[in-house]
Amino acid sequence: MGAIDIAFSSLLFSFFLLAIPILLSIKYGFGLIKPLLLAVFRMCIQLVLIGIFLKYLFIWNNSIVNICWIIIMVTAAVFSVLKDSALRVRKVFMPVFITFFITIFSVVVYLNFMVIKLNNIFDAKYLIILSGMLLGSSLRGCIVGISYFYKSIKKDSKRFLYILALGADRNEVILPYLKESIQLALKPRIATMATMGIVALPGMMTGVILGGGSPVDAIKYQIMVMVSVVACATATVILSVLVTLKICFDKYGILQMDVFTDSDKNMPAQKNKTWSGL
Amino acid sequence: MGGQKQIPISLKNVSLSFSGKKVLDDISFEVKSGEKIILSGKSGSGKSTIFNIILGFVQPDSGELLFDSEKIDDKHVWEVRKKISYIDQESSLGIGNTLDYLMFISGLKTNLQKEFSLNRINELLEYFELENEVLNKNLEKLSGGERQRIAIMISILLERKVFLLDEVTSAVDVFLKKKIAKYYLNKDDWTCLIISHDPIWLENSSTKIFEMDTSSWAQ
Ligand SMILES: Nc1ncnc2c1ncn2[C@@H]1O[C@H](COP(=O)(O)OP(=O)(O)OP(=O)(O)O)[C@@H](O)[C@H]1O
Ligand SMILES: [Mg+2]
Repeated sequence: MGAIDIAFSSLLFSFFLLAIPILLSIKYGFGLIKPLLLAVFRMCIQLVLIGIFLKYLFIWNNSIVNICWIIIMVTAAVFSVLKDSALRVRKVFMPVFITFFITIFSVVVYLNFMVIKLNNIFDAKYLIILSGMLLGSSLRGCIVGISYFYKSIKKDSKRFLYILALGADRNEVILPYLKESIQLALKPRIATMATMGIVALPGMMTGVILGGGSPVDAIKYQIMVMVSVVACATATVILSVLVTLKICFDKYGILQMDVFTDSDKNMPAQKNKTWSGL
Repeated sequence: MGGQKQIPISLKNVSLSFSGKKVLDDISFEVKSGEKIILSGKSGSGKSTIFNIILGFVQPDSGELLFDSEKIDDKHVWEVRKKISYIDQESSLGIGNTLDYLMFISGLKTNLQKEFSLNRINELLEYFELENEVLNKNLEKLSGGERQRIAIMISILLERKVFLLDEVTSAVDVFLKKKIAKYYLNKDDWTCLIISHDPIWLENSSTKIFEMDTSSWAQ
């Protein structure tokens, strides 16, 4: 079993499909050609490299190597989350990294052990492919969630300070913001899940079916993945916020401005010990 | 507590600069229990900053702050905040439905014992001449004066004894200014530190004025 092998020569034919966006871009002057070709080029190189790499990873199938590769994937993921979050990477990298690693790793091991019931729960194929999928789908939600959380507290610091002054404790004061952030982060996820199968035929399913599995197998995998994605996405958003609180707020419960990147400070020069609220 | 006069708030030689500019220069004063004190001074003289320091939003460069004779530090400040009713200069409230927000506040652990009943709320709405409908409006949609009065209501509902009021009568008409000032000034056991340019707060003869510009009591 397995998908029909595509010859490298025939793969070229799929590139002809690029003619559609290219011709349209020329006709309407979208200015898409250069970024598009560049992206296609990058994608090809990256995928070829990862293909070769995975091939050996699967051949060696060494638990330690597999776990190291997950560490690398998580590192890349956390960088991309923090880069878009306006937080200083240097300040919060470690706790977020640990959060991501523990969440993703334990969910995948749980799936391998309890759901798929693998003999070797560190089997390269399952460990790496599932981790990659969960990481990829937790990313966007996490970026939205963590950015919204810190930006909204910074933006209306008066509202935040007022809640502090009402006598809220550390948890109570962040709860309204955490709630908003999580809703914002997870709404699209949940919406996708609700239309799954009708509007979107997910990549996992496509993969299993083309790989020779029956649609029923594919659906089972897909359900497992969707549920785990929601679990991971929720856990990573909430935990990333919780583990960064101690770094980002001082003992008085005030958001520290020096956790933001300079481009996002946009505030008058002042002593770095205070916040930009007033 | 005992019988003798407590000193809820005390500042000793407090100084603070922002980016090199001295905002508070060696400020000292005490607010005794039940006193009504107006902080007076021109715009930018650091009045609101005093409130921010008391609430631990900013730390002074030097000097000491006491609440009920205890130093306000990063631990004590959380208790201090539970004993103070604060209204900031913009009456910043939350977002969303007014009644929901009141319920959020009453749901905070420190406020669970307080009576946030609908009866009590309606009583206050009536006194401050607010329509019942404001409860179902969005806080962002309220007029400045309405928001100010909601903030005042909250400060009262919290049933605390120390008040920091920053320009709480700036957006309402003279008639309401009077009513609001009267409400606070008539409560003998309430300690109020008030920032306001409205002379109405001075009608009570026992009100004292602290001049920020000279850092001394006005005669
Ligand atoms: N967090 C802060 N960062 C930098 N500067 C600040 C900060 N807070 C206050 N200031 C400055 O300190 C000075 C005093 O501000 P404050 O708000 O205490 O004045 P105020 O007496 O309340 O004035 P107003 O009557 O206009 O409300 C102002 O010059 C203000 O710009
Ligand atoms: Mg002010």
